[in-house]
Amino acid sequence: MKTLILGLDSFDPAVFEEMAGRNQLPNFEKFIQQGGYSRLEVCSPPQTEVSWTSIATGADPGGHGIFDFVHRDPATYTTYVSILPMRKSALGEQFVPPYTAKTFFEEAADLGYPATALWWPAMFPARPDIPVNTLPGLGTPDIRGQLGVGTLFSTEDEARKKTRFAKLVSAGKDRFIASLPGPQTQSRSGPQTIGLPVTLDVVDEKSARLFVDKQQVDLRLGEWSEIVELRFKAGMLFNIYAITRFIATSLRGVVRVYSLPLQIHPLHSTWHYASSNSFSKKLWKEVGPYLTLGWPQDTTGLEEGCISDDQFLDLCQKIFDRRIQILYFLMNDFREGVLASIFDDLDRIQHMFFRDRMDVVQGWYKLLDQLVGQVNKKLEAWNSKYRYLILSDHGFSDFRNKVHLNRWLLDNDFLSMQNGSDDLGAVDWSKTKAYAVGLNSIYLNLSGREGQGIVQADELEGLLTSIKEKLLDWKDPSGSPVIQRIRLKHEVYSGPYTRFGPDLVVGYASGYRASADTGLGKIPAISMEPNTDHWGADHCMDSDVVPGVIFANRDLRDFGTISFRDIPFLAIGKHLSQSNIKPPSQAAGEGQKDLEERLKGLGYL
Amino acid sequence: MDKLFSGFGKKPLSQSPIIIVSGLPRSGTSMMMKILAEGGLSVVADQSRTADEDNPNGYFELELVKQMSAGNIEWLAGASGKAVKVISGLLEHLPQEYFYKVIFMEREIKEILVSQRKMLAHRNEELKSNDVEIEQQFQSHLSALKPWLVRQPNMEVLYVSYNALIANPEPLCRRLIEFTDTPLDLGRMLSVPSRDLYRNRASRN
Repeated sequence: MKTLILGLDSFDPAVFEEMAGRNQLPNFEKFIQQGGYSRLEVCSPPQTEVSWTSIATGADPGGHGIFDFVHRDPATYTTYVSILPMRKSALGEQFVPPYTAKTFFEEAADLGYPATALWWPAMFPARPDIPVNTLPGLGTPDIRGQLGVGTLFSTEDEARKKTRFAKLVSAGKDRFIASLPGPQTQSRSGPQTIGLPVTLDVVDEKSARLFVDKQQVDLRLGEWSEIVELRFKAGMLFNIYAITRFIATSLRGVVRVYSLPLQIHPLHSTWHYASSNSFSKKLWKEVGPYLTLGWPQDTTGLEEGCISDDQFLDLCQKIFDRRIQILYFLMNDFREGVLASIFDDLDRIQHMFFRDRMDVVQGWYKLLDQLVGQVNKKLEAWNSKYRYLILSDHGFSDFRNKVHLNRWLLDNDFLSMQNGSDDLGAVDWSKTKAYAVGLNSIYLNLSGREGQGIVQADELEGLLTSIKEKLLDWKDPSGSPVIQRIRLKHEVYSGPYTRFGPDLVVGYASGYRASADTGLGKIPAISMEPNTDHWGADHCMDSDVVPGVIFANRDLRDFGTISFRDIPFLAIGKHLSQSNIKPPSQAAGEGQKDLEERLKGLGYL
Repeated sequence: MDKLFSGFGKKPLSQSPIIIVSGLPRSGTSMMMKILAEGGLSVVADQSRTADEDNPNGYFELELVKQMSAGNIEWLAGASGKAVKVISGLLEHLPQEYFYKVIFMEREIKEILVSQRKMLAHRNEELKSNDVEIEQQFQSHLSALKPWLVRQPNMEVLYVSYNALIANPEPLCRRLIEFTDTPLDLGRMLSVPSRDLYRNRASRN
């Protein structure tokens, strides 16, 4: 077995086919000529962490248990990030793997082959019990155990909504001091943030010197520093290490420096960052330092105006380049097994530029085409049979309107509020029949399941039908439907975790997506608003709106529709038990009985 | 690139693959069995159905094939390296633990239906559904079957056009020798496809 997989997060078939039609992506187009291209049916909901997990396991969320970016505890209605679950133990709170369903990486390892997954989502924390080499992707936290935000240093008071802020205080001519807020520790008086003193010397309007943790970091205006390693003293004998990059964004008038979220240092992680430790260390030492955050392309910094479009794009390029170097390093010694690498810059770039700067987006499709061309060239030296797959977890679409689904439920008498805040804490559960948490999920307030459930079993069917019909009738002011499709969980999911899934899976029409507020269970004052954010496009819609792609060095034309369930087979030549490939007698639909009678009549049955 | 991939990923075999001749009933499966047998390949068949006016060369069938769905699969242990006829509707009951090379016969559905109608008449069976309906059902059966076949890690499939085989048998018989990876006698294989037989059937449509 020898398989190479390139995962191109959010690579969209419509953009690809349009550009391929103009012969702009020659290396991808070769696959079309050989029958090795198809659109890919992706799972519902088409969210990154859900979809890549479905691809790795061949299972829908009912088979692996990740249904949405945000889940809720039915007993308390509290929300949590599904890919960063924690469990209390004698050692305190620990991250636990977000799912345990078998992946094709694990299956390959069980068959005795080396397997490597680079930047695959939902693979943090590493599982030392499984002999798969991993550098985890989406879901890897910062050193605080959170999804991570950067820090803006400024001589002005310009605090942002999410980004941390540190005031640069004058300490002499062209010298400023501040404190970089680091990890939190628990003390008797509660959680305390450990800071690192920072001194900034502005050399001229285009350069500065930053001193932090006994290091000097030379900054050129608008250019990212190299990756800087930092050490926070968390006690007499305990240090917490982090990595980041700095960038000076203004050195005349208002002085501004920005640092990326503080990220896990792979050589000194207190959590199981990667598997194995020696694997991540080898890459760090032999290829070079790499960012570790699950979402290292700092879209929050860009949205909040801490960095510019060009600085964001430069960061994406740096991340992309280092990942390519790591992939090529591993390809040099790759003899057998599975080697998979996900490149997720395109996803972040499309979120930020798909609406307003298609030139930037198309530039990245060309960049990925070049990557594929380079990889193809390397593969020419492989003289044994091999499998080669390039695939995406979903496509992309417009996100013109933010949908506040809980407000819609409130307006339609499915949810009731008490006076107070605008989140689930203010819901009157004694009068609430349904609520939304996550980007594509509605839960009924079910008696016996939810902490204060009121919906009885005999009401269930009618209630689900009522919500479904009303949502499908929902039109925006221009008359366009907001929802493309809405399905019951048993219509979408199969497998042991299905019962934990949302009762209704909401598939938004193109142009609509649940608001971030909805994701967290909030209930703003209106049910829909135009999206004017920098984040102007998305994929958390109906799965039919955003299909993915698959390219392979084999003819895919006999496959009919190819879905995420097929990927383990295409990757390792074997279906996993949960892949649930239906035999033809079940897939053919009606008329099977007539056929059987005909065959009996002919003496063949 | 496709060449590099083809056939890769199948289980390492301790036994030779089982050659399966498949297709819709009356698609030329019996003729294919006869071609392989003439070429020198052992076939697994019994005498449950002997030659008649529908199949003058014989049926080459094994009654046990019909019992696979009931779990009767022990006989497959002796089928390694031999040819067995399994109609398309029964392929899904082939057990996973063997590797199969499937020769799948394809023929114009309308021709198949004419031939089936005649065979039903010979067997004094009444026609319970009309040709339009049954054609649609066969089409949807094939539409579901082919994607399933390509997803089977233990099956390699060669599609053979009945009509092309009758019209120009040599290249296809050579391809059969290559596919079965068996030194079959090409001259004897070529003696089987009967243009006359086909013409007779076509002319009666």
